[in-house]
Amino acid sequence: MTRLWSYGALAIGILYFLLPLYGMSEFSLRMIRGEYSLQAYYVVLGDARFQATFGYSVLMALVTIVFGVLLVVPTAFWVRLKLPGLRPYIEFITLLPLVIPSIVIVFGYIRLYNTSSWLPLTGTAMGTNVLLMFGYATLALPYMYRAVDTGLRTIDVATLTEAAQSLGAGWSAILARIILPNVLGAVLSGAFLTFAIVIGEFTMAALLDRPAFGPYMQLLGANRAYEPAALAVIAFAITWACMGLIQLVTRFSKHNRVAR
Amino acid sequence: MVNSSPARRRLPLTWLGVVPFFVFVGLFLLLPTLYIVVGAFRTPGGDFTFDNIIALNTPSILSAYWVSIKISFWSALLGCLIGFAMAAAITVGKGPRWMRDPLLTFSGVASNFAGVPLAFAFIATIGPAGIITLYLRTEFGINLRLMGFNLLSTLGLVITYLFFQIPLMILIITPALDGLKREWREAAAILGATNAQYWRKVAFPILFPSILGTMALLFANAFGAVATAIALTGPSLNIAPILLYAQIRGDVLGSPNLGYALAFGMIVITGIANTAYIVLRARSERWLK
Amino acid sequence: MKTMNALAASTSIVAMLSATTTFAQSMDELIAGARAEGMLTTIALPHDWCGYGAVIDGFKAMYPFLEVNELNPDAGSADELEAVRANRDNTGPQAPDVLDVGLAFGPAAQAEGLIAPYMVSTWDTIPESARDAEGHWYGDYYGVMSFIVNTDLVENVPTSFADLLKPEYVGQVALAGDPRASNQAILAVLAAGMSRGAEPGAAAAQAGLEFFAELNAAGNFVPVIGRAGTVAQGTTPILIQWDYNALATRDTLAGNPPVEVVVPTDAVLAGVYVQAISAYAPHPNAARLWMEYLYSDEGQLGWLAGYCHPIRFNDLVARGVVPQELMDALPPAEGYAAAVFPTIDQVNANREAVVAGWDSVVGANVE
Repeated sequence: MTRLWSYGALAIGILYFLLPLYGMSEFSLRMIRGEYSLQAYYVVLGDARFQATFGYSVLMALVTIVFGVLLVVPTAFWVRLKLPGLRPYIEFITLLPLVIPSIVIVFGYIRLYNTSSWLPLTGTAMGTNVLLMFGYATLALPYMYRAVDTGLRTIDVATLTEAAQSLGAGWSAILARIILPNVLGAVLSGAFLTFAIVIGEFTMAALLDRPAFGPYMQLLGANRAYEPAALAVIAFAITWACMGLIQLVTRFSKHNRVAR
Repeated sequence: MVNSSPARRRLPLTWLGVVPFFVFVGLFLLLPTLYIVVGAFRTPGGDFTFDNIIALNTPSILSAYWVSIKISFWSALLGCLIGFAMAAAITVGKGPRWMRDPLLTFSGVASNFAGVPLAFAFIATIGPAGIITLYLRTEFGINLRLMGFNLLSTLGLVITYLFFQIPLMILIITPALDGLKREWREAAAILGATNAQYWRKVAFPILFPSILGTMALLFANAFGAVATAIALTGPSLNIAPILLYAQIRGDVLGSPNLGYALAFGMIVITGIANTAYIVLRARSERWLK
Repeated sequence: MKTMNALAASTSIVAMLSATTTFAQSMDELIAGARAEGMLTTIALPHDWCGYGAVIDGFKAMYPFLEVNELNPDAGSADELEAVRANRDNTGPQAPDVLDVGLAFGPAAQAEGLIAPYMVSTWDTIPESARDAEGHWYGDYYGVMSFIVNTDLVENVPTSFADLLKPEYVGQVALAGDPRASNQAILAVLAAGMSRGAEPGAAAAQAGLEFFAELNAAGNFVPVIGRAGTVAQGTTPILIQWDYNALATRDTLAGNPPVEVVVPTDAVLAGVYVQAISAYAPHPNAARLWMEYLYSDEGQLGWLAGYCHPIRFNDLVARGVVPQELMDALPPAEGYAAAVFPTIDQVNANREAVVAGWDSVVGANVE
C-alpha cells in the first residue's frame, strides 16, 4: 500500500471519528446562549433522576459482575479441568447472546416470567431487578467467558489444582485462593467490559420498566437540548475509562507473569 | 492424574460442576429464545400453525425487514471497506507505527459507544442544528436540508452506525493482517510480483474469508441494534427491531403471536449472518494461524 | 301508612348506602388501604406535562408512605389502554393503576371494561359534559392546540395551518405524538381539518388527513414524534402541540433557543383529557387517593401552574382561590373564548377515522 493510501485512509477515518466527538462536546457547552459554559453539566449532574438512575445502573453493573464471576470462573475452571470435551458446546452457547438480539431475549423474559407463570419474577420490583440482572449477565456472558477462558489458558490449571489438593485444599479454597488470583487480570477485563455494557444498556431496562441509566438518557434526549450532549460526553468518558482500565490491568498482569 | 477413581463412579459428580451454568443459560438464554421460536408457530389457542409466518407478508412488515437489511448491509459494507483500509494502513501499510496502539484502544472504546449517546453525538454534529450543518451554512452557504440530506433517514442511520462498525472491523481484522507472513511478501517479490500483484494473488485471497466473515458479523451487529435507532428517530422508524419494540410495548400489530414471528424472523437473519461468520472464520484460520 | 313510609325510607337509605361504593369512601379508610398497598403506579405522565412533576411531588409530600412508580412517560393514550390490557393478570409494578387519556379514549376504555368507576368528593364541581354519569371517567384539564416555533431556525413564524404548507417550511413541521396512538396528535389532525372549514367529527378527520397528506407530499412534514428536545435540536422546529406543553417547553428552554408559541388563526381547538382508574389496578386504594388529590384545590392548582386549565377552573375562580400570578401566566382568555370544544361523539368519530386512515391516506414513514 502506498503511503498516500495509508495516510489518506487514516485521515478520513480519524476525521469521521473526531467530528462527532467534537460536535457533542461543543454542543454540550452551549447551554447558556452566546458563551461557553459547563451549565449543561451542572444541570445534569445535579438532577435527582440522574443520580438515582446512574446509581441504579452502577449497582446493577456491580451485582452483574459479581454474579458473572461466580458463574463463569468455576464453570470455565471445571470444564478445563474435568470436562474438556464440553468446551466447544459451551463456547457455542456463550456466543449465542451475540446472535440473538437482546430485544428478543427480553421479549422471552416478559412472556415467560410474568405473574401467571411458574417463576413470577415480574410480579415484584425486586423480582424484576433480579430478572434484569440475569439479562445483563446473559449479554455480558460472551465477553466474560472469553476473557476468563483466555486467562485460564495461560496458567497450568491441572498442576496447580493437583498441588493444592495434595496440600489438602478443598474446591472452594482452590478456586478462591489459587485460581482467581491468577486470572484476576482476565476477570477484571471482563468486569470492566460488563460495566460498560450495563451502564449504557437501553432495551432490556426500558422493556422491563426499570429506572436505569439507558432509559433516562433516552428520556432526557427527547425533552432537552443541551443536557443530552453533556450526558453523551459523560457516557463516552466512562466507556473510555473502562477500556483504559482494561488495558492497564492486562499490561500489569502480563508483567506479573513475566517476572515470575 | 487428578482423579484415580473409576470414571463411572465419578461421572455424576463431575457433571455437577457445570450444573449452575447450564441452569442459568437454560432458564435465561435458551428457554426464552425457544419460547419465542415455538410461539412463532402457534396460534393464541396453542395449535401448530404457519399462519404467523405467513402473516409477516404484509407491506409494512416486509418493508421493516427490508429497511433493516439495507441499513445493516450498507453499514457492514462501508464499515468493512473503511475499517480494512485503516487497519491495513497501520499494519502492513506505510502508516505511522506509533498510531497502532492508540487506534486499537480507541477502536475498543468506539465499538462499545453505541446506543443513546451515539445518537446525541451525531444529532449535535450533523443534525438540523448541528455544528457541521451550521458551519457549512454560514461559511460555505451549503444548506444540507435544502439539498435533501436528513439525518433522520436510512442514510443518516448508516452514517451513525459506522461509528461502531468501523472500529469493530479494525479490531477483528488487525490480527488477521498481522498473520500475513512477511515471508510470503518477500517470496512474491523474489518471483517478480509487483505490489498490486502480490495483493491481488496472495494477500486478498488469504484474507478474503476473514473479510467476508467479519462483514457478516457487522451485518448481524447492525441488524439487532435498536437503542441507537430509537434515540435518533424516535419509535416511529419502520425497521424490524423498532417494530418488535413497539409490539412488545403494546400490541400494535393486532396479534400477539405475530410478535413471536417477527422475533423469529430476526433470529433467522442474524443466525444466518453469524453462521456465515463462523464458517468463514474457520476457513481463514487455515492460513492465518 | 307508617310502615309504608318506613319501608320507603329504608329502601332509599339502602339505595343510598349501596351507591356509596362509588361515592368517596372516607379519607381515613382510603389512607389506611393505601398504606397497606404502599405503591401507586402511574403511566404516561411526563413531568413537563401540565406540571405533573410538581403535582407528583406534592402527592408524595402529602402521603410519604406511598411510593410512586412512574411507567413509560412517552406513552400515548392508546398505549395506556394497551398497558392495562397487557397486564390484566399481572399485579406487578408493570400494571398501571391510573390513566390520563384523551376524551375520546374514555368511553372506549369503558366499553372494553378496562376502567372502574369512582366519584371523587368534589364530583359535583366537575362539569357534566366532561364526566361519565356513572363515574367511569372524568375530565381533568384542557388547553388549545397551538404551534411552537424555534425562531433560531425559522425566519417567518407561521400563524395558521394554511401557512404550514408554504415551501419555506420544508422538513420542519411535526406532530407531538404518533397519530395512531396519541390523543394530542389525533386532535391535531382534527384541528387541521377544522382549519379547512370542515365540521368537527368524521368530516374534519378526513379533511385533516388530506391536509397532512399534502404536507407530507410537499416534504414539509417530518414523520418524527416531536418533543422539547427535537424542537431545540432542530429536528422538528415547528411542532403542533397543546398550548400548555408549548408554554412549558418555552420555559424549559429558557430562551436557548428562543421559541414562540402561536395559536393558529384558522382553527382554535380545545381538548379535554380524562382521568380513570384501571379495572385491574393492583393498588385501588392508592389510585382513589391519587384521584382525591388531583381533584382537590391543591391538585387542580398544580395543573394550573403547568399552564393547563383544570376542569374545576370556573369553580376555583368563583371561590377566589386562584393566585393572581398563576392567572397572569395563563394564555390570554380571548383565545379561549373562540375555542371549539368538540362533543364526545365528534372526538370519537375523529379518533376512529384518524387511526384507521393515517397509514393509508398519509402514509408518512421515515425513509
